[in-house]
Parts: sequence; C-alpha cells; structure tokens
Amino acid sequence: MRTQEITVNLGPQHPSTHGVFRLVIHLDGEVATGGTSVLGYLHRGLEKLAESRTYPQFIPYTDRLDYLASMSNNLAYVQTVEKLMGIEVPERAEYLRVIFAELQRIASHMVGVGTFVMDLGAVTAVFYPFIHREKILDLFSMTCGGRLTYNYMRIGGLSHDIPEEFLPKLQEFLDYMRTALEEYHQLVTGNEIFLARTKGVGVITKEMAMSYGLSGPNVRASGVCYDVRKAHPYGIYDRFNFNVPVFESGDTFDRYMVRMIEMEESVKIIRQAIKDLPEGPVLGKVPKLIKPPAGEVYHSIENPKGELGFYIVSDGSPKPYRLHIRRPSFVNLGVLEEIIKGWKVADVIAILASLDIVLGEVDG
Amino acid sequence: MYGSGVVKGLALTLKKFFSKKITEQYPEERPFIDHRWRGSLQLDKDACICCNMCVNACPNGVITLESGKDENNKRFLTRYEVNFERCLVCGLCVEACPKQCLKFTREYELATYFRDDVKLGLYHNPKLSAPSSTYAQKTEQKKEG
Ligand code: SF4
Ligand code: SF4
Repeated sequence: MRTQEITVNLGPQHPSTHGVFRLVIHLDGEVATGGTSVLGYLHRGLEKLAESRTYPQFIPYTDRLDYLASMSNNLAYVQTVEKLMGIEVPERAEYLRVIFAELQRIASHMVGVGTFVMDLGAVTAVFYPFIHREKILDLFSMTCGGRLTYNYMRIGGLSHDIPEEFLPKLQEFLDYMRTALEEYHQLVTGNEIFLARTKGVGVITKEMAMSYGLSGPNVRASGVCYDVRKAHPYGIYDRFNFNVPVFESGDTFDRYMVRMIEMEESVKIIRQAIKDLPEGPVLGKVPKLIKPPAGEVYHSIENPKGELGFYIVSDGSPKPYRLHIRRPSFVNLGVLEEIIKGWKVADVIAILASLDIVLGEVDG
Repeated sequence: MYGSGVVKGLALTLKKFFSKKITEQYPEERPFIDHRWRGSLQLDKDACICCNMCVNACPNGVITLESGKDENNKRFLTRYEVNFERCLVCGLCVEACPKQCLKFTREYELATYFRDDVKLGLYHNPKLSAPSSTYAQKTEQKKEG
C-alpha cells in the first residue's frame, strides 16, 4: 500500500538519540525511506579552544569529547604530545595507562550495550551493565577524584600513583566481571526476541565499512580486522597477548557481540598488566614549561568507540598552532543515513544505538 | 526450544529480585566519597604566598587574586575569588600550588539557588570546616572517615 511520505524530526531532545542529535527521517508509513543527520548542537569548538590553551591545559578538555571514555581521550592526547616532544614515560605509568584504558573500554562498552538493549525496549537490561560500570567508576574516583571527567593522564606520565587499596579492589572487580558477563549473556544474548530484533538488521557490508572509514567495534563487526592496538601498537600494547574479535555479517547483533567479547579481552589484558606492574615513579622527566619543537604530528589510539587521533601543528610556542581531532563517533555516524533505509522506526533507533555514538565527540 | 532464552533471562531477573538491594537511598543514605575527591575549593589564606601559580595553571581563567605588600615586603592576600561557573574541576590549580594551601573539599552537593552564590570568595569565606580531600597532596594526610 502506498501512503503519503511524511517527515519526522527525531531529536534533538530525545533519549534514544544518545545526546543532542537530530535525525530528520522520511517515513512511508512506518518504514524509513531515508534520513538526514543534523549535527552541531553540542559543538563547543574544542579544536579552536586548544589554540588558546597551553598543552597541559588542554588535557581536561579532552575529557569532554567522548565523556564515556575520558581516560582514553586523555591517553590519546598526551601520547600525541609525547610523540611530538620525544618524552619518555616511566614503565609503571605505561602499565597503569594500559590498565586504565582497558577499564575505560569496559565501562564504555557497558554503556554501549546497555543502552543498545534498552533502545530495543528491554529496560531491565540497561541496569545490569550500569551496576558493573559503577564499580569501575569507583576505581577511577579513588585514583583521580572524578567519576566522569578524570583528567588523570599527564604529559610524561600520570598525575597520581594509585592508592594502595586500588589493586585488591581491581582484582575483586576482574573476578566479578566473569560472572557479570556470563549473567549478561544469559539475560540478553540468548533471548529470542532480542535475536529477532537484531539479526540481519542494519547490515554494514565490508565494502561499506571500509569506504565510510569506520573504525572500532563497528568495523570489526563487518569482517575487517582493524584494531589500532594491533595494527600500529602504541604505548606498550605489543607486550600483551590478546585477541581482536571479528565478526562477518555486520548487523546490529554482531556489533553487540564484538563489544561483549572485547570486554573479555580487556579483562585479559588487565590481568597481564597487573602481573607485570613494576614499581617506580609515575611521572617522567618533563620540562616545567612544555614547549614542543616546531613541527607536526599525528597519533591515534584505539578508543572504545574507534580510532581516536590527534593532529597537532606546533610553531614552537607553548600553545598549539592548530589541533585537529579525528573523532571516531563522528566518522562512524556517517554511515547511518545509508543503513536505515527500508527499516521500521523502531529498528532505526536500534541501528543508531548499535553504532554507539557519543554526541560530545560527534560535535566536538 | 523456542523461548528458552527468554525463560533463562527471566530466571536471572527473578534471582536478582530476591538478592540484596543495592540502590542507595539518597539523601537519607549518604554515599561514600573518596579521599581524593575533587569537589569544591578551599584555601588556607595565611599559608598562601600569592605566587599566582594557580592562576596561571587554570585553563579557564577562573581564579582572580589580589595581593598587597606589608612593611617587610612580604606579600599578603587581599582578595581570592573562584568563579566556579566556569571551573572544569580539573585540579590543575591544586596540583600547581607549591604551598598546598589550595585544596579540594569533599563536598558534592554544590547546586545553588542563585547565580551569585556560585562564585566562591575564598578570602572571606575560607570554608575551612569542610572535609578536605587529599588530592595532589605529596604527604598523604591522615584519612578522615
Ligand atoms: S579546577 Fe581547573 S578550572 Fe577550576 S579553578 Fe582549578 S585549574 Fe581552574
Ligand atoms: S598557587 Fe597556592 S600559594 Fe600560590 S597563589 Fe595560588 S593558592 Fe596561593
């Protein structure tokens, strides 16, 4: 049956858009025939702000990019500056950075899968991951005093050493994670309604994934094995033994599964890092005034959402001349308009949630 | 069997329903606040040497301080204001302070009814009674409950 096409605004204030994102969606009955994403509601001009801040002063601003993964954003930025200046980081700081980055990956994926399942209508399933994430936030706040914006990494190391009660708590958490993930598989993964709603929905083919430049779990669900930790190891990631989960079909279910398995792998990495954690200082020798030599640098890391890269041009002054951020959520969102065609509104919401975007990062 | 996944999930929900409750009954129950918590700011104005390190460390120009000189040419503070509206609560000022007289408190209920109350005048209202945080302290202070 042909019906009149109508245009609906989804967002910007709508809980299932995960922030202030607007999707102008064209509907034929209940089926989406196309859509246009409208961005910029959360644009704060972070790249421009960086030009009037000194290098260390920009670290707290990176917290505000992907605010579900502040720790990883910090890491990407400080490593970029370290690369530009050739600063050595103490061993202990390197190991702690890995521990925190992986904890952050678990925390971010917890929100990612939780909100995804919630957007399918299963509200119970959002609380379980949030309970687990809360334990990570406790670990973070005991170390750096913040629950969301950590500002923990420093150029040349970390701002603080971990408190003594941290490692026992972390061990406890890792043991807890095993049952937590099993429980979640029991609750969600085998659920027939969940499978019916996600299998084969919103397929991103391998070609599409590559031509749109996707990264992170979204590209690995489409059969492309690309993980910056393996492809261009940064920090000390080449010392750890872990797998990169890759799925073939590229539907929403696979994107969910990649995240679930990545959490298991992160637990493995953290266990190895705790085993080898050396003693020593956590902040290396850095000049009082951070003044990188003139030049440019690009550095990227594997954030929970994908490849987060910083490009810095320095003119030799204490402030960046230009700073550009490759924001994975922004790039990943590009594919949305294409993959929602032909799906019902309820599925469009699920497809959007499965991409796991954060608007702080999309809008910059 | 079709539907067994749903049943398994419901079994878990039922198990959790009868397990210990974890919801915190705020505000009757108070959360535990970590020792390094970054809350509001507090200043020991007698220990401050007016070196301006905190002012220069701040990314947002939040701190304003004015000082005078006494007869021994020693600086003393006459005004210290924190415009908390624009504060990122990043802690760079506390880390920069050489005298460790600028500290975070462990308060967390910082909402106010009026905009003017957001500004912290740390000179006249030193808030020394608030539980302080050990953030960026080199010698760990005695931990308070
Ligand atoms: S916490 Fe950060 S933003 Fe706030 S006053 Fe200190 S340096 Fe400035
Ligand atoms: S850094 Fe410390 S001592 Fe120096 S002006 Fe600020 S509060 Fe005073």
